[in-house]
Amino acid sequence: MAFLTLQLLFRRLVLAIPILLCVSALVFAILRLLPADPVGMSLPPGATAADYEKLKQAFGLDRPLFEQYLIWLGKLLSGDLGGSIFFRRPVNELIARALPATLELVSAGFALGVIIGGAGGLAMFAMRGGAGEHALDGATTIMMAIPEFLWAILLILFVGVSLQLLPFIGRLGPGIQLPPPVTGFLLVDSVLTGRWDSLRSALLHLILPATALAIGLAPLVMRVLRSSLLETVQDDYITQARLRGVSERRILLRHALPNAALPAISLIGVQGGFMFGGTVLVEMIFAYPGIGNLMVDAVRNHDLPVIQAVALVYCVLVLGINAVVDVAYMAVNPRLRLAGSR
Amino acid sequence: MMTLAARGLCVSARLAGHAVAVLRDLDFAIEPGKILGLVGESGAGKSMIGRVLARSLPSGFAVSGGSLDFHGADGKVSDLVAMDGAELAHLLGDRIAFIPQEPLTALNPLLTLRTQFGEHLARLGVPAGDRNARIIDALKQVRLSAPQSLLERYPFQLSGGMCQRVLIAMAFASNPALVIADEPTTALDVSTQATIVQIMRGLQRDHATAMLFITHDLRLAARVCDEIAVLYAGEVVERGPARIISQDPQHPYTRALQAANPPLRGPLTRLVTLPDQMPGLSALAGLTGCRFAPRCPTRDPSCAVASPELRLMAQGHWVRCAPACAGFRPAAPSIMRMSAEASASEPVLVVDTVAKHYPGKRDWMGRRGQGVDAVRTASLSVRPGEFVGVVGESGSGKSTLAKLIMGLEAPTAGRILIDGHDVTAASTATRSIRLGALQMVFQDPQSALNPRRPVVRLVTQTMEAARSCASDTERLARATALLAETGLPPELINRYPAQLSGGQKQRVNIARALCVTPRLLVADEIVSGLDVSVQAQILNLLLDLRTERGIGLVFISHDLAVVRYLCTRMLVMHQGLVVEEGETDAIFARPQHPYTRALLAAAPPDDLDSPWPPSGPAQETLDAMA
Repeated sequence: MAFLTLQLLFRRLVLAIPILLCVSALVFAILRLLPADPVGMSLPPGATAADYEKLKQAFGLDRPLFEQYLIWLGKLLSGDLGGSIFFRRPVNELIARALPATLELVSAGFALGVIIGGAGGLAMFAMRGGAGEHALDGATTIMMAIPEFLWAILLILFVGVSLQLLPFIGRLGPGIQLPPPVTGFLLVDSVLTGRWDSLRSALLHLILPATALAIGLAPLVMRVLRSSLLETVQDDYITQARLRGVSERRILLRHALPNAALPAISLIGVQGGFMFGGTVLVEMIFAYPGIGNLMVDAVRNHDLPVIQAVALVYCVLVLGINAVVDVAYMAVNPRLRLAGSR
Repeated sequence: MMTLAARGLCVSARLAGHAVAVLRDLDFAIEPGKILGLVGESGAGKSMIGRVLARSLPSGFAVSGGSLDFHGADGKVSDLVAMDGAELAHLLGDRIAFIPQEPLTALNPLLTLRTQFGEHLARLGVPAGDRNARIIDALKQVRLSAPQSLLERYPFQLSGGMCQRVLIAMAFASNPALVIADEPTTALDVSTQATIVQIMRGLQRDHATAMLFITHDLRLAARVCDEIAVLYAGEVVERGPARIISQDPQHPYTRALQAANPPLRGPLTRLVTLPDQMPGLSALAGLTGCRFAPRCPTRDPSCAVASPELRLMAQGHWVRCAPACAGFRPAAPSIMRMSAEASASEPVLVVDTVAKHYPGKRDWMGRRGQGVDAVRTASLSVRPGEFVGVVGESGSGKSTLAKLIMGLEAPTAGRILIDGHDVTAASTATRSIRLGALQMVFQDPQSALNPRRPVVRLVTQTMEAARSCASDTERLARATALLAETGLPPELINRYPAQLSGGQKQRVNIARALCVTPRLLVADEIVSGLDVSVQAQILNLLLDLRTERGIGLVFISHDLAVVRYLCTRMLVMHQGLVVEEGETDAIFARPQHPYTRALLAAAPPDDLDSPWPPSGPAQETLDAMA
């Protein structure tokens, strides 16, 4: 199993290289075609044409497009993503600060989506044919009909503003100090340094944005799991288990659920990628300092190096989550682990 | 002392507000150590017992009367129909065990054998520490070699026969009082069937278990069971000692069932077939008298009025038939004359030492896996009007050979000639030669027919080719002629496949192949999914086509009796090789290859006095193959 997992991850890695090259080249080319002038925007008022040319040379923007790409690529390989035109700091530093926040948010949203989806799917199946199923079915329709950024706003208005139950701005409450940075992940650092006040505040701040993200995933998982369970319980081995006197509860959880989960896991793999796209709007709405917000700022200010770098990071994240889901799928399905050995 | 007794058990289905009895007044009793066979074709209701016990009747079906009494070891009698679900679940798997029809799908694909067997032992109260030893012991009893190495295997890593042995081991693990085996060998190869039956009977005898053996195969039931009850349309039509039922049946249906089975020895006579098929649910609703009357060869008018009761014929032998019909014997069937081959005529098809190798999948480094030699080498030739049988078990390469003949796959070596033209290489020209001379009939009529096309368009599908540019009128005329030729009623012409029975679908399938008037049909297991009585109709249809059209046939099958009935020449395939070839009669009389001998020994002989399952060298070959 461990060997096969490594083999699978290695194969993914090899395949990721051409994908990343394509994405970076595409983003690079499109950004250069836009009628944006990052040099002009970063000059102070009253700068002369000579100042303009000097800065342009300093940024390397006077060279041919292909050369610019190769220079950027060369630096990228040595781990240097260049300097931000707008923030006037290394892009590495900006991403290192924002990425852990986004990873925390996506992990929370992903976990919440899978848990709500899984539990909801089981509940829908258990209440099949009854009023409960119809109610849950209606709930999934409502969840899917409203886009996640609108859910974010509704959650803020209802839970945050009206009921004042949960915070909805940033990662920490006012007056709470950041824990000393160890890993950069707020939750992990809080636990490592024993800062329970910041852990509590960070968790509370995660709930609403993570819920907004989870709503994009949960209803789909619910529906797929329900229909897949309905099919699975018709299978022969379920009847045989029943004829061996296995309890209904055990039949459902031990025999039907793992088999029914396979299509749901495939779906999660596809949808998980979309969740990163969702972070851009959700982070903006919740003023959450992740790479989504960084991207919005960079786009607003025509900060080409940052846009390129963040686009690449998104690409890596999507490929990463696909690999994780593949490993999970292989762990559940012995057919994939043992293919060919008979 | 009884273990299980059914008393007037009725199961009804609601159909348009009316209750239709799908199981009517079922009475039987099984004693400890005895095997009762429940024999019937599909739709007879023989699998309803299992569904009643699993409480998994289809929606709209319900037990409408009677009882199913189970006598426990403590002398307590409990009605399995009336008792509550928790109490029943307590008995199931412990006192009452099941052996299923499809071994490969009856085990959870995601769990290892240790986990599944262990779960069962845990439910039986075996302490965790003892379970491994118990599993290994149980697997040894079903003659699985190296049981230790099987523990961490998943079901998909085992063959069907091995899975069935595991399931048998699980069924007997609790030393149950009653085992219900529902078609336990139907999905298996002939050679595996013999071994499985032997293992099952051995365990049953050793534990003095009562057993309900459900099957469609009267010949097998006669071998396995002490007593047989024959079911037709939900009713027991005849019940008695296995020997009497199989050798001297009284009910016209049991007789027909017996006559529809081609024999393995003795003179060949044309199979006597019943018209139509067993009435379905809606047809049953309209039947007042004897349920068999519409198909009964005696045609006694009194039968249509009232349903006959079971009458006692002799000690323990009951027949549900009017005195006039019971014992009715149809005219002696005619001895079949094999049409002498026109040996001078040139063969339509010559397959010259073809082989098919499927390369292995490349792994991520680009290295090829081992691959499979589906057909290592095979040759055959078919003359006009000649029926050639290809016999083999699953994995023998017989279906690949059919695909090679049809050009659906390209051979990796060898040549294929049609009328002397080399058609090995795929091209437009060879394709058109092939299509003009050969047609294929597929195994599963269900999936071979497009469900969204009516019969008229299905059977004339080949006329859609651009070069034929047939008009609708022409197609209708052709379809009408084809239906008549294949014995289908003309009113089916606008029906869709879902509205046809299994036998009718297979006839449509054959009619479609006949549309371009081919000279050779390639038929891959075309009767294996059909009931015996329907199978007999199809076999006779093929014989008629030879007489009328002089058509040739490559008939691929695992069933020796059917091949003997149809084919003048046969090939035996094993692991991609033709191991024996010759005149059918000669091979049946003097098989040369050990595999052929083992295969012939594995089929239950008609004569109840010759021993079966085989013992001695034949049995060893079978065991080695399984």
